[in-house]
Amino acid sequence: MKTIPPPCPEPEVGPKYWRSLDQLAEKPEFRQWMEREFPSGASIAPEGETRRDWIKLMSASFMLAGVGGFAAGCRRPEEHLTPFAKQPEGYLHGKAQHFATAMPSRGSAIPLVAKSHDGRPVKLEGNPLLPNSNGGTDAFAQASLLNVYDPDRAYRHTKGGADVKVENLRDALAQVATKFAANGGEGLVFLSERSGSPTRARIQEEISKKYPKSKWFAYEPVDFAIGQQALSTLVGADVQPVYHLENARRILSLDCDFLGVEGDSYRLIRGFAKGRKPAKDTMSRLYAVESLLTVTGGSADHRLRVRPTDVVRVAAQVGVAVLELLDQSGELATALKTLAKDPVANPQWVAACAKDLLANKGASVVLAGYGQPLVVHLIAQVINSVLQSVGPVVSIVKANESRNDGSIAECVAQLQSGADTLVILGGNPAYDAPADLDFTGAVKRAKTVVRWGYYEDETSQLATWNIAAAHYLESWGDARTADGTIVPVQPLIEPLFGGLTDIEVLARIAGLEKPLPLDLVRATHGVDESKWRKFLHDGFLEDSAPKPMEASSIQVGRAVATIAGFKAPVAADFDVVLYRDASVDDGRFNNNGWQQEVPDPVTKVTWENVILVSLATARELGIADAANAKDGQYKQPILKVTLGGRTVEGPAWVQPGLADKTVGLALGYGRRVTGRVGRGSGFDSYPLYLKDTRHLATGAKVVKVPGRRLVAVTQEHGLMEGRPVIREADLAQFEAKPDFAKNMDLDAHLPHYVPYKKEADGRNVGPRPQNIYEHPFDQNPETASKIHQWGMVIDLSTCVGCTACVVACQSENNIPIVGKDQVARGREMHWMRIDRYYSHDPKSDLGSDIAAEDPQMAVQPMLCQHCESAPCESVCPVNATVHDEEGLNVMAYNRCIGTRYCANNCPYKVRRFNFFDYNKRETDYAGAQSQHFFNFGNLYKGPLGVNRNDAPEWEVVKLVKNPDVSVRMRGVMEKCTFCVQRIEQAKIARKVEVGNSGDVAVKDGTLKTACQQACPAEAITFGNLLDPASAVSKLKTDPRDYTVLGFLDNRPRVTYLARIRNPNPEIQEAKIEGRNGPDSMRDYERHRHENPFKTESHGNSHGEKKSASISTQKGAV
Amino acid sequence: MSDIFPKWTNQLPMMAGIAAAVLGATALAGITYYVTPKYTRVGYQPKQPVAFSHAIHVDQLNLDCRYCHNGVEKSWFSNIPSSSTCMNCHSQVRKDSEKLALVRESYASGKPISWVQIHKVPDYVYFNHSVHVNRGISCVHCHGEINKMDEVYHAKPLSMSFCLDCHREPEKFVRPNELVTKLDWKNEGFDGKKAVHDWKIQPGQSCSTCHR
Repeated sequence: MKTIPPPCPEPEVGPKYWRSLDQLAEKPEFRQWMEREFPSGASIAPEGETRRDWIKLMSASFMLAGVGGFAAGCRRPEEHLTPFAKQPEGYLHGKAQHFATAMPSRGSAIPLVAKSHDGRPVKLEGNPLLPNSNGGTDAFAQASLLNVYDPDRAYRHTKGGADVKVENLRDALAQVATKFAANGGEGLVFLSERSGSPTRARIQEEISKKYPKSKWFAYEPVDFAIGQQALSTLVGADVQPVYHLENARRILSLDCDFLGVEGDSYRLIRGFAKGRKPAKDTMSRLYAVESLLTVTGGSADHRLRVRPTDVVRVAAQVGVAVLELLDQSGELATALKTLAKDPVANPQWVAACAKDLLANKGASVVLAGYGQPLVVHLIAQVINSVLQSVGPVVSIVKANESRNDGSIAECVAQLQSGADTLVILGGNPAYDAPADLDFTGAVKRAKTVVRWGYYEDETSQLATWNIAAAHYLESWGDARTADGTIVPVQPLIEPLFGGLTDIEVLARIAGLEKPLPLDLVRATHGVDESKWRKFLHDGFLEDSAPKPMEASSIQVGRAVATIAGFKAPVAADFDVVLYRDASVDDGRFNNNGWQQEVPDPVTKVTWENVILVSLATARELGIADAANAKDGQYKQPILKVTLGGRTVEGPAWVQPGLADKTVGLALGYGRRVTGRVGRGSGFDSYPLYLKDTRHLATGAKVVKVPGRRLVAVTQEHGLMEGRPVIREADLAQFEAKPDFAKNMDLDAHLPHYVPYKKEADGRNVGPRPQNIYEHPFDQNPETASKIHQWGMVIDLSTCVGCTACVVACQSENNIPIVGKDQVARGREMHWMRIDRYYSHDPKSDLGSDIAAEDPQMAVQPMLCQHCESAPCESVCPVNATVHDEEGLNVMAYNRCIGTRYCANNCPYKVRRFNFFDYNKRETDYAGAQSQHFFNFGNLYKGPLGVNRNDAPEWEVVKLVKNPDVSVRMRGVMEKCTFCVQRIEQAKIARKVEVGNSGDVAVKDGTLKTACQQACPAEAITFGNLLDPASAVSKLKTDPRDYTVLGFLDNRPRVTYLARIRNPNPEIQEAKIEGRNGPDSMRDYERHRHENPFKTESHGNSHGEKKSASISTQKGAV
Repeated sequence: MSDIFPKWTNQLPMMAGIAAAVLGATALAGITYYVTPKYTRVGYQPKQPVAFSHAIHVDQLNLDCRYCHNGVEKSWFSNIPSSSTCMNCHSQVRKDSEKLALVRESYASGKPISWVQIHKVPDYVYFNHSVHVNRGISCVHCHGEINKMDEVYHAKPLSMSFCLDCHREPEKFVRPNELVTKLDWKNEGFDGKKAVHDWKIQPGQSCSTCHR
């Protein structure tokens, strides 16, 4: 804001001023101006003083004004308020508006409610109104908001590289329409992403009718439609499976990362979480068969580590076992037996698993992953059918989208034979098409290529016409969710750069009369005004989900041919797994800073992809040396992977839990043409993505090549080493001693503290250690609010580690992106992090090495614990961090001088410091400077470097900021505030509602922190501890509730519910996995010589008699 | 050996000390008074593009504050009315007046009027109008007697200590909600203490109340 001082009739400083004092006094403008500025004093001249004296008095203040720019004359710069000339109805500045919309993704959609300030979207949440929805989202949906304000997005339409006005573009499309109307679509080829939009399907129909000779192809590099394909084969119609995991007691995952990167994981996580309440008969059990260690494997009760190409054999083994238990023989059984003839999995394990699945008939389900071949999906659905789970757990519904579209291989063949006009809708096939198809070469043979895309990327370079796409938050449209419910896509803002929607482009090519998106969507859903308004308001169309078909529609016999004809590949050399990255998806979020910086849920690597290898493989390749990390920075050796004559190179990463002789490569990095954020991040794995093998290939060669590369990772260590940060138990152990979690560490010396617990059971009273950090409410009890006291409980049994909360927090609180270099120095700014621990028992019966290679994984969201006796508050020299009346530990940013003593003192290390002005100075994004001792990254250049605020892009980038939260500058400490802006808004809303009344307590459930609202598993519960009926108060008295580092007596307001695993007692007794309780507990016991299920915890047994070891006990104690 | 320094220099350090102390105290006093909002902001009366007089519209014509500042009950921001609000009356009342030319032009062309902002708290302070207006705090306590102003001026300092004066003793300033816009109302017998108790008025005094 430019400084415009109020107009003065004469300059304020300089000799001229002094000389003209008397003259000034005469001038009428001066008098007028003075009178205006000082109404009370101007007209009154003090008695007895001459005018001259009085002027001299005033001159002193003028001088001050001239010198310092403060005091009388030149105050705060003049700012303006500009209301509308005509006030739009219902608009109030400062009051957010909410609109229902949806994020379309690959044939499905996530229903959302978008919060809009001043006509622009600033936050996305899930839509809780949909039946069977909790309002959760995934990390992709949260981060998609940043894409709207991406300065590197396509901002213009071009033809042959030159800018084109939108009117000319529309004319050109109309010409295409007339041209192909004449010859029935001969030579017109469409290649698009998958879409479940009913409007697009309708227009597609019209085009097929009008241009019968036109050809349609659909391509997604990560394609979840394989599940549809399998079920459709079995049913004989175009159907898709819909999973209701809340009804599943037993789940078997065949390389299906349904809690992570599978499609619609947000609703699968929710269903899964519902079954994780620990109770003997109702708790679910998850078996995971996988090669990579995924979040699903981390949450699994039993995990089988196999090579990816062997999953099909395990699937067959399970199928055989299930059919044998049912005494079913026949073609199917025979086909499966053939596949299972070289068994991979331990037969006892398989037998126990099959028995368990069968024992829970009607409530068991088998899921197959997108990367596995069709036969695995067929086997999974066959087993589901046999287990009678079709109906309650898996329902068959009509598919969201037609699958008549050809594949990309067919598209390339079509292009090779000559095409006139190729229309590419979305996607990025020049980057992600199977490498052995030579898509680029084929495209060059088309005469005209029309490309509708969000970025000017690799595919745009091949196109004649480039149409800038509108983001879904700028578009009218519709979509279908996972179960087929129709949801609207409503724009929150007009396309920032005049982009078009896909349906408009298609409609214009079809030559439809009303091609504008709103008209098209309206036409699809009828013209009944009230129904339309309800559709837009609620965010879904009632009763639009197709009715599930009968379970008997499945005829397992239809699968026999495929199963029998499948030749399971013989594992040779190395297996290669190309997986959908949890950050950048298949490459579409490559330029999204939030996604690049959020750590991978398992590896915690940021800003790039790595080549994952197991511990044993690393030893084989000679890269397992510990000297990779120096000064906390990981300089990783480089591996070269060769498959079918194509090679990729990338930094190696040792991943415990990965199958041996397997390498995992994430897709989506190493883009050739991308924006400033993605440039230089990672390596391109797509050269190994081939049309027949896709995500799984075998026969690759892996060698180490010289060189090292810096990898920025946020969590270096993976072990708890006997410190019970995460506390877990098997279900049987938990039932024998439900409050085991309060019996670890020094808890016997320090009873578990529950704030505001009404019952006096002696736990909250009694001697406590003298705490050197004062408790503000102990000192000044009258300051504590008697209306609200906030607390939070995080359930580790349901948290899967998907990191949606991390991105939601970043979105809500204006958390900056720091770039790879700073992350490598430990300066990532996320207020919330997901800590991921591996645990193994070093004295395991299976041997230490194997145990370390196949560990268990546990995750824990860690955020500011809002300690009541906070170590950080007492040490701030300027009192910038204080305790408020409602129990929050708050930060006053304007007071902080950047001592960082508070972060030093925080035992949980959750305080983040703005070492640089991350908002003002351009970061280096994926560039890593840390290799050099003298760092000359842009951040270090300060004012001499690139200043983002001066660049025109800033006008777009700054729009994503939430106006209710400060944007912090350099030198200021920040941390989780329990979303204090939401708390204040909720309190204010309640007070406004009640007015002159005392009923001001916020109702439980109306206030949700950003992380709580984003979590699809509902693992985070937040609320008022003074309300005994609130959800959080009830959870605080849960026996599983414990405090992290409770022995410090900080009394955090954030507590955790211990994680309960539900292993199969048969598998445990058979000692197949060599464990008899969670590994972390055995590790704790070995370190502390204490068994929390038996003895009172003192941290360790003081060197006295050894307590009975956990490992010699069975589950019950 | 002769004296290097004359005798009177013996007093010099003490004199220097006293002078420094006096100078420091003066500077401090000056800054404490002059460089605080009480001096720098009170009295600020910029010239507005349209000579709107609150005295005429509120005192004389009895318009309620919320007729124009309609967002104050729902939003943190108390909005300046749009030109269309002015034209509600002025399309007929004084519809050819010279002084209202800018308003008519704005309404016709859609170009907003650029009012000069008078009351503004720093960006790191998050003040919310709706909660004050709905909990018995009248406009007059922070904006002064706007109903008597021909040209609005900044009447109160709006410094943090000014806010805390009320937050610490709300019983002195609270009134029933219906009387919030009656700027001339004098408290004769309304029990502020009882209102604070009954309505559970606990205005925060910790940092998170305003600073986030």
